Amino acid sequence: MSSSAGIVLAGGRSSRMGTPKAALEWHGSTLLRRTAGILSRVADGPVVVVRAPGQALPELPPQVEIVDDPREGLGPVQGLAAGLAAVASRADIAFVCSTDLPFLHPAFIRRVLRAGAEGADVGLPVARGHPQPLAAAYATALAPAAARLVAEGRLRPAFLFGECTVARLDEATLRGDPVLAALDPDLDSVLNVNEPADYQAARARPAPEVTIQRFGALADGHRGPLPARAATVAGAAAAAGVDLGAHVVAALNGDQITRDGQVPLAAGDTVFFLAADAGG
Amino acid sequence: MTAGGYFGRALVVDARAATASTLPLPDGLLRAYIGGAGLGTWLLHRLGPPGFHPLAPEAPLAFVFSPLVGTPLTTSAKFAVVAKSPLTGMLNDALASSHFAISGKLTGHDAIVVRGACSRPSVLLVDGAGARLADAADLRGLPAAEAERRLRDRLGGGWRVAAIGPAGERGVRYATISHDGRHAGRGGLGAVMGAKRLKAVAVRAAAKVAPADPQAVLAAARDLRARSFGPATAKYRQLGTLANLLAFNAIATLPTRNFQAATFSGAPQLAAEELAEMRTVTRSSCASCTIGCEHIYGARGGRRARVEYENVFALGPMCGVADPDAVLAASGRCDELGLDTISAGGTIAWAMECAERGLIDAPWLRFGDADAVLRALDEIGAREGLGELLAEGTRRASERVGGGSAAFALHVKGLELPGYEPRTMQAMALGLAVNSRGADHNRSGAYEADLSGEHDRLAGGQGHAAAAVETEDRAAVMDSLILCKFLRGVFTEPFGEWAALLSAVTGWDADGAELRRTARRIVMAKRVFNLREGWRPQDDWLPQRLLSEPLEVPSGRVAMLTPERLRRMIDGYYAARGLDGEGRPGRAALDDLQLS
Repeated sequence: MSSSAGIVLAGGRSSRMGTPKAALEWHGSTLLRRTAGILSRVADGPVVVVRAPGQALPELPPQVEIVDDPREGLGPVQGLAAGLAAVASRADIAFVCSTDLPFLHPAFIRRVLRAGAEGADVGLPVARGHPQPLAAAYATALAPAAARLVAEGRLRPAFLFGECTVARLDEATLRGDPVLAALDPDLDSVLNVNEPADYQAARARPAPEVTIQRFGALADGHRGPLPARAATVAGAAAAAGVDLGAHVVAALNGDQITRDGQVPLAAGDTVFFLAADAGG
Repeated sequence: MTAGGYFGRALVVDARAATASTLPLPDGLLRAYIGGAGLGTWLLHRLGPPGFHPLAPEAPLAFVFSPLVGTPLTTSAKFAVVAKSPLTGMLNDALASSHFAISGKLTGHDAIVVRGACSRPSVLLVDGAGARLADAADLRGLPAAEAERRLRDRLGGGWRVAAIGPAGERGVRYATISHDGRHAGRGGLGAVMGAKRLKAVAVRAAAKVAPADPQAVLAAARDLRARSFGPATAKYRQLGTLANLLAFNAIATLPTRNFQAATFSGAPQLAAEELAEMRTVTRSSCASCTIGCEHIYGARGGRRARVEYENVFALGPMCGVADPDAVLAASGRCDELGLDTISAGGTIAWAMECAERGLIDAPWLRFGDADAVLRALDEIGAREGLGELLAEGTRRASERVGGGSAAFALHVKGLELPGYEPRTMQAMALGLAVNSRGADHNRSGAYEADLSGEHDRLAGGQGHAAAAVETEDRAAVMDSLILCKFLRGVFTEPFGEWAALLSAVTGWDADGAELRRTARRIVMAKRVFNLREGWRPQDDWLPQRLLSEPLEVPSGRVAMLTPERLRRMIDGYYAARGLDGEGRPGRAALDDLQLS
C-alpha cells in the first residue's frame, strides 16, 4: 500500500465568493488545478477531488481521480468521509484540504503528514490563530467513523477529533521543520480565499520565487541558475524562453519529468529544462 | 526480381581457404528482415553452427548494409557488424556510420560475411574483382586509424577501410572495429575480427543499385533533410551527445564511481557547455548526415579529441575523474587501442572498487586517479599485468576474483552498463535487463519513456513494460533500415513514415503495421539466437547493486528498484512480447522467423 494520498474537497458552495472557487485563476492556473497539483507532488498514492454531484470542475491532470460526494451540502465531514473511503485501500494517511489554498506549500504537507507516521490519527495544524481541519492529515481508517458521524448528523470535524488521537501542530512545531521554516515562514499555506477581497489580495501577491536551470542547447549561452517568479512550469518556461513540449521536458527539483506546463510551482523550487531526447 | 536498393545477395568469404561464395537473399527474406541488424541476425542464424565459440574460426562476422545505404536520405550511410559477442556469448550487432557503408554495399552485396581464420595477419579486399586476402604483417600493432591510413595509401583511391587496433589483435573482449574515426563499438567484435587474424577489411565500390522510385526518394530526402535542422536534433547539432552530462547529473541519472552514486561533483568541469566555452571546438558529420553531432575539442598538448557522452561518462564520473584533459586523453587512448569506452571504463571502475576493498592487489588503482585510468587502459590493450584480467570484462573478471565482487560488477549478460542510471530510470532498467545484446542503450531506448513525463521514472510498472517494448521495436527498425537514432525525434508517425521511405526505395507497398511486425520479428530472432546459444532466464536480470542499494534524488525522494518490481516489469515485457513466463517464444513466433 502507498503511504499517503491527497484529497481536495471541492464541493463547497462558494457562496461568499459568489463564483465557484475551484475555477478561480491564480498566476496562470486555477485554484483547484494548483491545489491538486501540489498534493500530487507530495502524495505517493492517489490524489482525489471530491465534488458535489454534477459539479463542473476545471481541467485536471488525468491521474487525479474525481469522486462524487453522494450528498450535497452536509459540510466537510461528509466530503472527508467520501474522500477517505475512496483512498482507504490504497493509502494509510491522506492530506485533506479545501480547494482555495493558493499558497499551500509541499513542505507544509510533508510536515503535517509526518504526524501520521508519528502515530496520530489526525495531524491538525493550528496556525494563524485557528485549527485548520481543511489543511490537515487524516488516517484513512477514519472513513467509517466519518461516515457514521454524518449519518448521526454530527457534521463538525470536532466530533471526529473526539473519537481519535489528534496531534495538534502549533506554529512553533510547524516551524521546527527547517525546510518548512525556510520556504513558508509565515505559514501562508493555510491562507484561504473566501471572499472576493481575499481573492484580490491573493492575486496581488507575486508568483513564487523559483530557480530555473537550462541545460544543453537550451541554455543558449545562459549557463547557471536563473531566478524567476513563476507559479507553474509553463510560467517558468516562459521566463526562461524555453519551448516546453515535444522536444523539451522539465524536471522539478531533479525529480519527476514533465511536459505539463500546469504543474504548480512553490517557493524554493528549482526547475530544470532539458532536451527530451537523451540519446548518447 | 530484386527489390530496389538491394543486390539480393551476400558475399560469404572463407578466410582460411581464401575463397568466397555468394548467398542469394530472396526478396521475401529481405522484406522480413530489411537489412542491417535485422538481416545480420538472420545471417548469424543461417551461417553460425549452433554452439559455436565467438572466437573460433567458424564464427561468422557479418558486415551488413541496408536498402537505404547510398540514397540521399540523411544519416543512411550506416552499416551493422553482427557476430556472436566474445563478451556476452550472445548475438551482438554494432552499428557505425561511414563511407565504408556505401562502398561496401556497392561492391555488389547486401552483406559481406567472413568465416574461417587466416593463417597470418591479413587484410580482406572486396571490390568488383571479388574477394581476396593480402598480407598485413606491416600493420600489426598499429592503431586502427593508422592502419586505415596506410592501407588507403597502399591500395590507392576509392578504397574504404574498417580496421582493428592492438586490442582487437590481442583478443580484448571489448575491442572495436573502426573506420573514418567511427567505431562499431560494443560487444567486442574487434576481437572476433582479430581472432580471424584480419587486421582490416577494405572495400571499393564497383556496382550500382537504384531505388525503385528515385523521385519519391529525392523528395523524401529533401523533406527529411529540412526536418533534421529542426528542434528535434538541436541538442546533437549544438553540443553533441555530451549535452546529456549536466542534465543527467541534475536528475540523478549519471552513474558515478561504479554506480555508487548518481551525481558527480566534477560534472560541471566535464560538461559540453564548459568545453564549448573554454576550448576550440569543431563539428563533424558522418557520411551522408546533415545533423553533425560529432564535436571535436582541443585537448592538452595541442591534440584534438572527439567527445561523446558515453566516453566521458565511462572514463570520467564512472571512474571518479573530473579532469577534462585526463578524460579526453583516456578517450583518445581507447581510440588508439581500439577499445569500447563504455566497457573499458566500466571494467576499470569495477577494478577500482575491488582495489579499494582489497580484493585485488592494485594499490595504484583508485577512484579519481586519472593516471591510473591511463595505465589501466594501456595494460588492457597490451593484456599485461592487471590488463590480462580486465581485458576479460567485468563478468569474467568478477568470477575470477570472487569475494563478492560480482555484486558490484555492473553488466547485463556480460556487457557493461552505459551511462543511464537504472534506479532513477526504471523503464530503462527493464530495457537493459531484457535486451538481447545486454546492457545497452542503443537497442533499448527505454530511457525515452523515463524522460517522457508519462511515467514515474522512479517507480517502474506495467506502463514501463509497454514503453520498453515500443522503444525496442523502434530501434529494431531503425537499426535495420538503417537510420541514425538521433533522427528519431523528427518522425511523428515513425513506423508509417519509415514504411514510406522503405517503399520508395524498394518498390514494396509496406505500411506501418508491416514494419511493426518486422520489428517484433527481428527482436524475436535475436532472442531465439540467444536461446540457441545458451541463454538462461536469469540472464534477463540486473546486477545486485542496482536491486539492493537505494539512491536519493535531489528532491529528497528515494529511488529503489526492488527485485520484485523488476520481476513484475519483466513479466509484463514477456507477456507483451508473447513469451512464456521464462522468456521463451511459442511455436507461432518461431515459424514466423524464416530460419529453416
